[in-house]
Amino acid sequence: MSNTDTPIHQVLIVGAGFSGLGTALRLQQNGVDDVVILERAADIGGTWRDNTYPGAACDIPSNLYSFSFAQNPRWTRSYAGSDEIRDYIHWLAEEYDLRRLVRFNRSVTGLSYDNASGVWTATTEEGDTVRARSAVMAQGPLSNPSFPNIPGLERFQGKTIHSADWDHDYDFEGKAVGVIGTGASGVQIVPELAKQAKKLRVFQRTPCWILPRLDFRKPDWQKAVFRKLPAAQSAVRNGLFLAHESIATGIIWDTPVNGALETLAKAHLRHQVKDKWLRRQLTPDFKLGCKRVLMSSDFYPALQKDNTELITWPIASISENGVRTGEGIEHQFDCLVFATGFSVPNSGTPFPVYGLNGRELGQEWRRGAQAYKSINVSGYPNLFMIFGPNSGPGHNSALVYIESQIEYIVKGVTTLRSLGIKALDVKDDVQATHNRRLQKRLAKTNWNSGCKSWYLTEDGYNATMYPGFASQYARQMKHLELRDYRLLSGSGAPQ
Amino acid sequence: MANIDLDTMLDKVRNTQWALADIDWDKPGAERITAEQWPKLKAFMSDLMWIEHVGARGFAAMARKAESDTLRELYTWFHAEEQRHANAEMALMRRWGMLEGDELPEPNINLRLTIEWLDRYSDDMPLEVLGSVIPMLEIALDGALLKFLLEEVDDPLCHEVFEKINADEARHLGVDFHVMELLGRGKLHQLAIKAIGTVGNPKLILGVLAYAPLLNRMRDNIVAMGLKEERLYEAMNKYERIGGRTKEGRRNPWFQIISQHGKMVVNRNHPYHKPVDALVSLSNYIPAKALGPVPTWVEKLTWRPTA
Repeated sequence: MSNTDTPIHQVLIVGAGFSGLGTALRLQQNGVDDVVILERAADIGGTWRDNTYPGAACDIPSNLYSFSFAQNPRWTRSYAGSDEIRDYIHWLAEEYDLRRLVRFNRSVTGLSYDNASGVWTATTEEGDTVRARSAVMAQGPLSNPSFPNIPGLERFQGKTIHSADWDHDYDFEGKAVGVIGTGASGVQIVPELAKQAKKLRVFQRTPCWILPRLDFRKPDWQKAVFRKLPAAQSAVRNGLFLAHESIATGIIWDTPVNGALETLAKAHLRHQVKDKWLRRQLTPDFKLGCKRVLMSSDFYPALQKDNTELITWPIASISENGVRTGEGIEHQFDCLVFATGFSVPNSGTPFPVYGLNGRELGQEWRRGAQAYKSINVSGYPNLFMIFGPNSGPGHNSALVYIESQIEYIVKGVTTLRSLGIKALDVKDDVQATHNRRLQKRLAKTNWNSGCKSWYLTEDGYNATMYPGFASQYARQMKHLELRDYRLLSGSGAPQ
Repeated sequence: MANIDLDTMLDKVRNTQWALADIDWDKPGAERITAEQWPKLKAFMSDLMWIEHVGARGFAAMARKAESDTLRELYTWFHAEEQRHANAEMALMRRWGMLEGDELPEPNINLRLTIEWLDRYSDDMPLEVLGSVIPMLEIALDGALLKFLLEEVDDPLCHEVFEKINADEARHLGVDFHVMELLGRGKLHQLAIKAIGTVGNPKLILGVLAYAPLLNRMRDNIVAMGLKEERLYEAMNKYERIGGRTKEGRRNPWFQIISQHGKMVVNRNHPYHKPVDALVSLSNYIPAKALGPVPTWVEKLTWRPTA
């Protein structure tokens, strides 16, 4: 089909995870039915479809890790495991009949905007072309597994598994296993593998701050109450939201609360680890909050099992048989597990995005990404992003942020229709002022306090996190200020 | 100033890693160790590997104090590399039939006291102190002990191993002296006040009480093995020569303190030796049990190339 024959949809969405499906759902509820979702995999679920490693779970209480417009009374644990979260996403898709909007196995290779028609065109690896008035990039910031840059990685003759691409057929029983990485996925995988492997070695580069995780099975009466009285669940949700908001004062900024949280984390470590040297090796030397704060009550005990050992020597290389560390020893394994997270595009874009007059977003972002309210970028009319620059939460549920971005997109798309205009393009100076303020505020946060993290680019520019409370973020997203935008009419001329 | 680009040095360190598995520990040559040499060599190697191990722990403490990510990473590597040297030296001892099973060589009581001090207090020491003491130990190691060993031992594998160790040590010394000079920057009176404040630190005083007898005992041990004392003193003088070659280096109060201490150590007639030798004798009466078990970082030592 030639480009001109291709139908023009109202909205095209890249990605069928929480963000993409949630956007489609709310657009539908607001009368925008003509939506196409392009999904590179064969199923919905995004990061929760891919992260099925043993122990995978959410760091945010389950009642808060769901959309407020589609709450789930069935959560069985205070912190839901990945299978339950996946079930919730599947339930969303069935309940709101969203699957019919998704074109599976379509890997987007580019997005481009046509000035004259005001239409976005997505191309896919499979040769499809999809056109729409608005485009939503909801591919997720944590969707591409990242492997560490270790010499000899390809030489290893044993089994390799990445946490985001788990091989459930592999039997760890009786095996010697090395886990590389002790971040969010590492601390969840290690306790599970320690139960199965004959020998487990955990390679840590930098220890993280770890707070206890109060995970428990939810009583049946609670589920019954939530089913019958959704307001009760909303009240619990609001309570959890406020509790997490209050923690922001200790995670985002250097306040006495930060010191209190560090004390709590150290007490947790002291309580669980008796050996002084191991405790030293597990104690971070950066401010709590500078990197992602983890929640686990079973990581430290797992490290002290007879079959498990923490290795903090720097990794020199990977050989045919295992991992060689700086103290000159080759640690030999049957299987290497990479719990090394994702490539986070805090500069550049996951695929080329061409805006007005052929400008390319990756080029403009090569020194660090920036946007307006993390959702629009000047010069890219009607392009919306979920988890765009500076929308990362450090203390609260990602879904709270996603939800306010979704509502903003709904406003944007419905505004186009109600005003009868071709496009909304955020003004360049408005975006610049917004980012100046953001960076000024970011400079005072713990994220910019000197540690290296995936939140920052190599130059130390923070294009990832939002420097404030989730409620502040939600408030700024509540209104779409038309004065911040150039309104492009049918002819393409600014109004 | 010794101009070292720390980023380039870090790349070099990363790119020149070696492992015990790279070495054929069973290759011929072990038989060249004579029966006469054997007991002395065993004692010498034991002291040597413990110095490497103690140095390793020193670098671990320094990594915590480093002001830049690059320096922190370099010290993290040096910590591992010193441990590698200790492991490789144990592997040589094993090759020469000096170790049975997984046993560790027995540390002398002064080493044991130093290990105890490092375990308790080294993380609390400022970089100025460790950053000026460690080069002294390394230069003594590099300039005297290793050279002596290679002159005495005929086993080609020993030469092969120490060629690798020496290459690592040369990089360590380059960074050590660079940092010593960096530590001499700033206003002199501020450096002096800070140093005076640290000298009075009881933790440091305990450290000196562990370090000074250790040096004297090592000197005695090494001399008993046939090393000419002058070789050790030449090495220590080298510390003064390299550390003091620039204005910044000389302005570092800790360089001055350690240089002066070195001069006392090398002068056998200096009254310094009376109390220190007395401490060495006294330490012989400390029962090993009084110190309790060794810290678990010591248990990470191994002669096995693979795990």
